[in-house]
Amino acid sequence: MSKMKKTLLLLAAAIMVFTLAACSSSNNNSGNNATNSNSSGTSSNSDNSSKASGETVELSFWTLGNTNYEDLANQYMQDNPNVVIKIQNTGDQTAHHNNLTTALSAGSGAPDIFQLEIGFMERFLAAQNSFHNLNDLGAADVKANFLDWKWAQASSVDGSFQIGLPTDIAPTVAYYRTDLLEQAGLPTDPVEFSALIDTWDKFATVAKQFTDATGIPFVDSRDLIYNAVRDQADGQIYFDKESGEFIGNTNPQVKKAYDFTIKGIQEGWVANYALWAADWTQATNDGGFAVLPGPAWMLGNVKSNGPDSAGLWRIAQLPEGSGNWGGSFLSIPKQTKHAEEAYAFIEWMTSQEQQLKTFTVSGLMPSTPALFEAAEFKDHTDEFLGGQASAAEFASAAERVAPIYYGPLHDQTDSYIKEAIQNVQEKGADPQAEWDAAIQKIENLIKRS
Amino acid sequence: MATTAQTSVKTAVPKRRLSERKRDNLFAYLFISPFFIIFGIFGLYPILFTIYLSFFKWDALNPMKYIGLQNYQFVLEDSIFWTSFSNTLLISVMGTIPQLILALLIAIFLNSAFTKFKQAFRVLFFMPNITSIVAVALVFSAIYSNNGMGNWLLDIFGLDAVAWNSGWWGVKIAIATMIMWRWTGYNMVIYLSGLQSIPADLYEAARIDGAGRFQQMIHITLPLLKPFIIFTVMMSTIGSLQLFTEPYVFLGQSGTSSLRSEGITMVNYLYSEAFSNSFFGTAAATAVILLVFTIMFSMINMWASNKLGGDTEG
Repeated sequence: MSKMKKTLLLLAAAIMVFTLAACSSSNNNSGNNATNSNSSGTSSNSDNSSKASGETVELSFWTLGNTNYEDLANQYMQDNPNVVIKIQNTGDQTAHHNNLTTALSAGSGAPDIFQLEIGFMERFLAAQNSFHNLNDLGAADVKANFLDWKWAQASSVDGSFQIGLPTDIAPTVAYYRTDLLEQAGLPTDPVEFSALIDTWDKFATVAKQFTDATGIPFVDSRDLIYNAVRDQADGQIYFDKESGEFIGNTNPQVKKAYDFTIKGIQEGWVANYALWAADWTQATNDGGFAVLPGPAWMLGNVKSNGPDSAGLWRIAQLPEGSGNWGGSFLSIPKQTKHAEEAYAFIEWMTSQEQQLKTFTVSGLMPSTPALFEAAEFKDHTDEFLGGQASAAEFASAAERVAPIYYGPLHDQTDSYIKEAIQNVQEKGADPQAEWDAAIQKIENLIKRS
Repeated sequence: MATTAQTSVKTAVPKRRLSERKRDNLFAYLFISPFFIIFGIFGLYPILFTIYLSFFKWDALNPMKYIGLQNYQFVLEDSIFWTSFSNTLLISVMGTIPQLILALLIAIFLNSAFTKFKQAFRVLFFMPNITSIVAVALVFSAIYSNNGMGNWLLDIFGLDAVAWNSGWWGVKIAIATMIMWRWTGYNMVIYLSGLQSIPADLYEAARIDGAGRFQQMIHITLPLLKPFIIFTVMMSTIGSLQLFTEPYVFLGQSGTSSLRSEGITMVNYLYSEAFSNSFFGTAAATAVILLVFTIMFSMINMWASNKLGGDTEG
């Protein structure tokens, strides 16, 4: 009899396990339904929660890379005792965004607040149903605080949908080495050098002059010089911002960037280094090139790649304008149950005062132009750059950036063009044939989309 | 707790109708169920979902759209897919055949009586296999960069520089050497255990009959190693059809999201369709096509090994 009992218990336990599993999945579903209904009626929900202020709200926050967001969150929690912020940080960009994709498509597991990097913006901007429109939560009121082009990166084309509030930006400048310019008899002062290369034609002339005089390539790599010209396109690069159609083969700026890079390769002033490769890193230190067109965060790479070249680098403005490469936004996925509280937190996070702290602690460039006038910002100098007021230089670059529409297939399209340029440089292929082949591959890609 | 009692009461009624034998069976199934549940969730379900997904257009975030066989048509008409197919075959031949020959030679060398420090050599040769592939690929990309060690060596011998990052053969040679470096030791260990299973008296008898070392190798070592050789060829074929990390890290250096057509393998193609382009439908179709290819190659392998000698199974 006791044996019978035991087997019964075992069986019951097994059944429990299965029923529990079933329960938890149905719980999830009902949870989702609750969130959905919440999102439609957020205002009423938040009224309740603000009335019952004793109740604590827990917000999960996925952050990316080196930031001071933990410190800011701690401070926010002190000021708002009813809010608990749980930060989960990673340095792996791809995993960070793929995890969100998984959570969104699974219908659960997304954080309340997500740090969205611009490189992955298009993927999520295409999934507006999964995110709160921050304009509905009050973002329209703070729009004027931010740089126009930065704001537009996280807006739908018509501007009605706002997926994220801007955090940091990364405008592009020209990093250059004074010792090498001196060798070629060129001016080394940032203002004079910027004036010397203020158009791309002048840039090419100076580049050729430099390489003829020293035998050293002027620009570090084909990819960065191509990016620098490409990013000055007028509002759109490969895809039309209204129709989304491919315009890369007719956009004059794309062709200009391609031809300019090819010209540099053929005249020998674009170095044959692949970006991020070990020999590129080494050349940064050893003076293998004079100019590196890169975004604000590239300064960190130049510093770590070229410890022996400290004090020799300066920043100049790029010819004809500036571009942007990188920077993040804070978004609120629809799965959250605390949209109002999450929004209050991110609005606070992206305010001028907090962005100034992030700049001083982590060196991230703020996206609020009013800060560019602040003394702590303007007077910030960098010994690696020979004491140049670097922040002010980045700020003037930031003010020269124009808003650009990328489109969901931007990266892939771009990599085909870069492949063509690489073939010309490394294999001596015919530029026109390579261009045609790249366009062919892009058209195939679009067909599959 | 109350529910437990209830369920046990409920289950108790049908329970009595089960015979002893049936109950034993039921328990057996219960005990093996963890594997099947986990396999079902993480193995079977993704496989079935992949096949289902291959008929849809999906970007993982918006609703799925049924498009029939169009994904297969896209993939099969895409020249980059066929490039990835021929790349996979070429790289696997370039990486596997010299590798297996080298592994066999090293194994014979280590097995010969006069080699000292056998243990140390075995460890050394096996080391690459347990080294992180990403680290390996990064070190190799330093060797095979435009101004790196590889071209420097070629320069010393008065040879022209090779475009390791974009040359049709350059990329393949670079990736094939990475595979060789990593797997030679692994196959060597398998051959070594094979060699040690060959009884020494066979060699003794051969020596008495006046056979030289070379003859011993051809007539004793190789025939008796046949099952081991077939095993390694099989594993290497399947492994190289799934080649991913080496080309991904080696060619992904430039920071661009695509892989150059000189080195892209079928799994790389699949990965970039899904995670760079967000074309999950065509990626799933590629996975199904890859499955068909893998089955085909395994069958060819099995047919060939049966042809070579039916007695190899034991």
